Amino acid sequence: MTAMTAILSHPLVRLIAGFVVWSVAFVVLYAAQALGCAYGWGDWHRPILWLLFLLALVPMAWLALLGPRHDHQHALNMAAVWTNRAALLAAVLIFLPVTFASLCQ
Amino acid sequence: MLYGSVLLFALVMVLFGLAYLRPAWVTRITPSQWIVGGGLVLPIPILVLLTGTALVLGEQLLPKGDAPLRFKAHAERWQWTFIYPDGREMSDETLHIPAGQAVDIAVTSEDVIHSFWVPRLGGKIDAIPGHENLIRLEADEPGTYWGQCAEYCGPGHDGMWFRVQAHAAEDFTALMEGRR
Amino acid sequence: MSERPSPIALHKQLEAIWSTPPGLARLSSVNHTILGKRFMALALCFFGIGGLLSMLIRAQMATPDSAFLGPDIYNQVFTMHGTVMMFLFAIPMFEGFAIYMLPKMLGARDLAFPRLTAYGFWCYLFGGSILIVAMLAGVAPNGGWFMYTPLSSKPYTPGINADVWLLGITFVEISAVTAAVELFVTILKMRAPGMALSRMPLFAWYMLVTAGMMIIGFPPLILGSILLELERAFDLPFFDPTRGGDPLLWQHLFWLFGHPEVYIIFLPAAGALSTIIPVFAQRPILGYRAIIAAIVAMAFLSFGLWVHHMFTVGIPHLALAFFSAASALVAIPTAVQIFAWIGTLASGKPRWDIPMLYVAGFFIVFVIGGLTGVMLAMVPFNTQAHDSYFVVAHLHYVLVGGFVFPMLAAIYYWLPHISGRQSLYRLSIPAFWLILIGFNLTFFLMHLTGLMGMPRRISTYPSNWGWDWLNLLSSVGGFVLTMGFALVLADMVLQFRFGARFRRDPWRAGTLEWATATPPPSYNLASIPHIEARADQLQPALIGPTLAGGQGYLGFARAGEQETLGVNMVTGAVEHLITLPRRSYLPLSTALATASFFLALLFRLYWLAPIGALVTLGLFLVWPVSLGEKRDKGPIDIGRGVSVPPDAEAADNVTVLANRTALAMNATLFASLLFGGLFLLVVAPNWQDTGAAQVPLWAAALAILAAMSGAALAARARQGNARGGTTHLDLILAVLAQLAAMATTIAAVLWLDDPTGHAREAVPFVVLGYAGLHCGLGAVMSAHAFWRLTRGYISARRQTEMVLAALWNGYAAGAVILAFGLTGILAMGGAMP
Ligand code: HEM
Ligand SMILES: [Cu+2]
Ligand SMILES: [Cu+2]
Repeated sequence: MTAMTAILSHPLVRLIAGFVVWSVAFVVLYAAQALGCAYGWGDWHRPILWLLFLLALVPMAWLALLGPRHDHQHALNMAAVWTNRAALLAAVLIFLPVTFASLCQ
Repeated sequence: MLYGSVLLFALVMVLFGLAYLRPAWVTRITPSQWIVGGGLVLPIPILVLLTGTALVLGEQLLPKGDAPLRFKAHAERWQWTFIYPDGREMSDETLHIPAGQAVDIAVTSEDVIHSFWVPRLGGKIDAIPGHENLIRLEADEPGTYWGQCAEYCGPGHDGMWFRVQAHAAEDFTALMEGRR
Repeated sequence: MSERPSPIALHKQLEAIWSTPPGLARLSSVNHTILGKRFMALALCFFGIGGLLSMLIRAQMATPDSAFLGPDIYNQVFTMHGTVMMFLFAIPMFEGFAIYMLPKMLGARDLAFPRLTAYGFWCYLFGGSILIVAMLAGVAPNGGWFMYTPLSSKPYTPGINADVWLLGITFVEISAVTAAVELFVTILKMRAPGMALSRMPLFAWYMLVTAGMMIIGFPPLILGSILLELERAFDLPFFDPTRGGDPLLWQHLFWLFGHPEVYIIFLPAAGALSTIIPVFAQRPILGYRAIIAAIVAMAFLSFGLWVHHMFTVGIPHLALAFFSAASALVAIPTAVQIFAWIGTLASGKPRWDIPMLYVAGFFIVFVIGGLTGVMLAMVPFNTQAHDSYFVVAHLHYVLVGGFVFPMLAAIYYWLPHISGRQSLYRLSIPAFWLILIGFNLTFFLMHLTGLMGMPRRISTYPSNWGWDWLNLLSSVGGFVLTMGFALVLADMVLQFRFGARFRRDPWRAGTLEWATATPPPSYNLASIPHIEARADQLQPALIGPTLAGGQGYLGFARAGEQETLGVNMVTGAVEHLITLPRRSYLPLSTALATASFFLALLFRLYWLAPIGALVTLGLFLVWPVSLGEKRDKGPIDIGRGVSVPPDAEAADNVTVLANRTALAMNATLFASLLFGGLFLLVVAPNWQDTGAAQVPLWAAALAILAAMSGAALAARARQGNARGGTTHLDLILAVLAQLAAMATTIAAVLWLDDPTGHAREAVPFVVLGYAGLHCGLGAVMSAHAFWRLTRGYISARRQTEMVLAALWNGYAAGAVILAFGLTGILAMGGAMP
């Protein structure tokens, strides 16, 4: 955790951290959707997507709940807080279709 | 969707105008009210509802389960060939289908990408070499519907029109029988 | 420094150092003011060409069954219109604008790599010329601006047309790549001291994010172009479905670039708006922090929506749902910005002036474009409207609303800065109305024709569909629009001739660019200010004279050197003194060598192409010769009682940051390539029953081992050097190891079956080729460090070249491992279903 927080102490890293996780989750979910269809994961397909969806939310929620740091970059820290919350919202809304949309059709 | 857009457009324009006219109540709106109100509260519910509806609708339009009849549309620069459920073709550049019943059309291409589109019957689906795509259409009424290639495919793209002829169910059966 | 010279004397001394002499010597200019203006002027020329082409389109479409242009010409015309507008007008236009503006706004005297700016300009000019000359010769690209395969593959476009697009545009994209790296580094490292990130003007924030997006967004396009050109020239089947390729791979690569591209064009324009609106609202921008958050969110979201251009290709509904939802959500950060702007006006004391007229035009047009965009994001609607004139209408509302109108506002706001004169205002008002009315007449009606079923990219239409009068009115609107643009042009010319001169800061702005004299001198600011407040709330009219008097940092001319400052990325604390390279013909000659490479490929002189590439590389190696220090100087006085070390002695200098950035870009390209290989394995047809591509295991092991030792040795040399040890041997061994890795990788490539047979061979062919190339580059970097070491440019404090060698060798090792990894997966993949 300390290595994590050390990296996150860079304000620019904090600014994009939430959306970087979002991007990774996006790629992983899209890939899992395609692989599941190509290699016939059948009944496992949707539970796996569910699982990945929830897994992605964990770090994003953590980042979103992290309050602003208190140093001289106040404007930047507040922007980072909002960006990370926006990333969480984007993840919930954009990945929500894994729970109902047709997987391979 | 159209009325909603007109309304939203009008709203933004009125606000922009008000910014200049500056009645007292507009100047009292605080910064965070502008941003949270206009940037979050206004669009989020609209977008969530709209996207949700569109996704549900999209699910319903999918060719799920088997439609009773399955046709093939094969594109080749610059014409369409249609293959009927019995595996045979007809040579009149027209797709004959029964009206009042959903049919599936499997779309492929011989050469470049084309797109199968009958505007009055529904959306389009691309004809891609190496892939076969399925679209489900339904003509409510017997009649003639125009179709066209909707993906640019070279110099003959403008002329890649075709016709869909929807027949009453019994006429369609007769037509199919008659070909034997 | 002793006695302070008078402002005039200081101006003369600095001008002697920074200015470019007239005449032929202009070809050697590397100054950002000159180059920014060149970029913008050339972009406007291309706008004129694109506009002429659009007039041809509208003339053809005015009547049904028109025989004015025939399909062959028409296809070239609309392809060139789209291509010119996107690649030769919009992107270079904002690049030029940023190149001109950013250093002035940030308080630097030039960009981080002036010669690279010049090189980028020449690439833009030469690449653009290739396209235009081809058009005049009647062999312009004709596959549409997104060049879908297989239509643009050899069998269906046998001529040179598609090669012109692929090679010409890739050549032009070099300028986008260099601009992206350079702007990114400049914004992060070359601000006025005290300008912390949280004090940066919003325009710089917008450009920082834009540059970041370009770094990730352009490589997929460049990769796609390379693969398609390889397919066309050497028959490697990446997009041919009969041999394991897939036309959809092109679409993914293109739109992975193509959608972010739209935001890459919009963000700089929005940055201009965020600068202009507060000035006329007479209050600071509202929601500074929210806007930063919004643009970061927008940047990322815009990478998650490329498939909305592919809703009809037959992708499962879940995947469509991701992209549809992301496309809808991206409207939220846009709304945040729109309301921040309206709120700024509402809570300020807004005054009208010509720029605001065009800002109003932006609001009207862009909001409509945004709303139709949300409609298109809905899958069921999209499958109706896709590839119809509805989309043509939408894209012009977004591009003209989101880019052209803000740029017109920017022209009326900043042209006085360039010309030193104020606008006459007589023509700008009728011009505005002509543009607004003409635009809406042209494009609003296209929504209707689109919904009535008119597909885009048709050269004629029959007259019995009821589209006739709508199309005719559209064409009339198009000509009204053109008259409006002609008036703006006339207004600009008149301003340069007759506009009234002014002192400083005519708009009472808050940003630093107005603190320069106008037109700006070659060195921007005679001294660099210390920034104590948010840098969009300064008082340029007050600061300007004190800076001209030399009261800031570097308020003197020293030893004929071009000096400016480097700061801490985050806090803006001054860190080092940057000495910029002087004007030079090297950018031009290097660009000419690059042109020979591209022309050789275009005319299929394949023996010449490698020579062109080697000459280019050789010339690039000459660039650093004039740079660097042969001794440690320690802190140097920069005025105001502060001393800092020179950039060569700073660990974290712009060169290192630029190379890290370039590697990130390069890694994106490689990642796209790996993605492409996996995509073909999983999705493409005809992968069953093909023999696996075998590379002997020992070759893979040897190559990986050699590349990793090369990387380890370069890293050890770097550490040893930092401790003050001798590192010659390590560097030589690193070169040898990396050369061995390159040789083994190439041998492995030769082991493969005929790469034209199947994508299963073609993909490892390029992946391993890429890795081999980077081993070679790693060797070059180590050799370069060795050479600089023997020349005395490297010490324990001056370690830039050492760091670069370590970076590039580490990258090469990673590339080799991944390349053999993918080759292995493809070989095993044959067993999978
Ligand atoms: C000056 C006024 C303009 C007019 C009258 C105009 C007109 C048109 C028309 C009629 C088309 C449709 C061609 C077809 O589908 O057959 C088109 C396509 C296009 N336009 Fe424009 N345009 C203008 C300005 C612009 C600008 C400023 C941009 C970009 C910054 C732009 C970018 C495009 C693109 C990307 C296409 C698609 C080309 C393709 O289908 O390959 N246009 N334009
Ligand atoms: Cu076609
Ligand atoms: Cu898009």
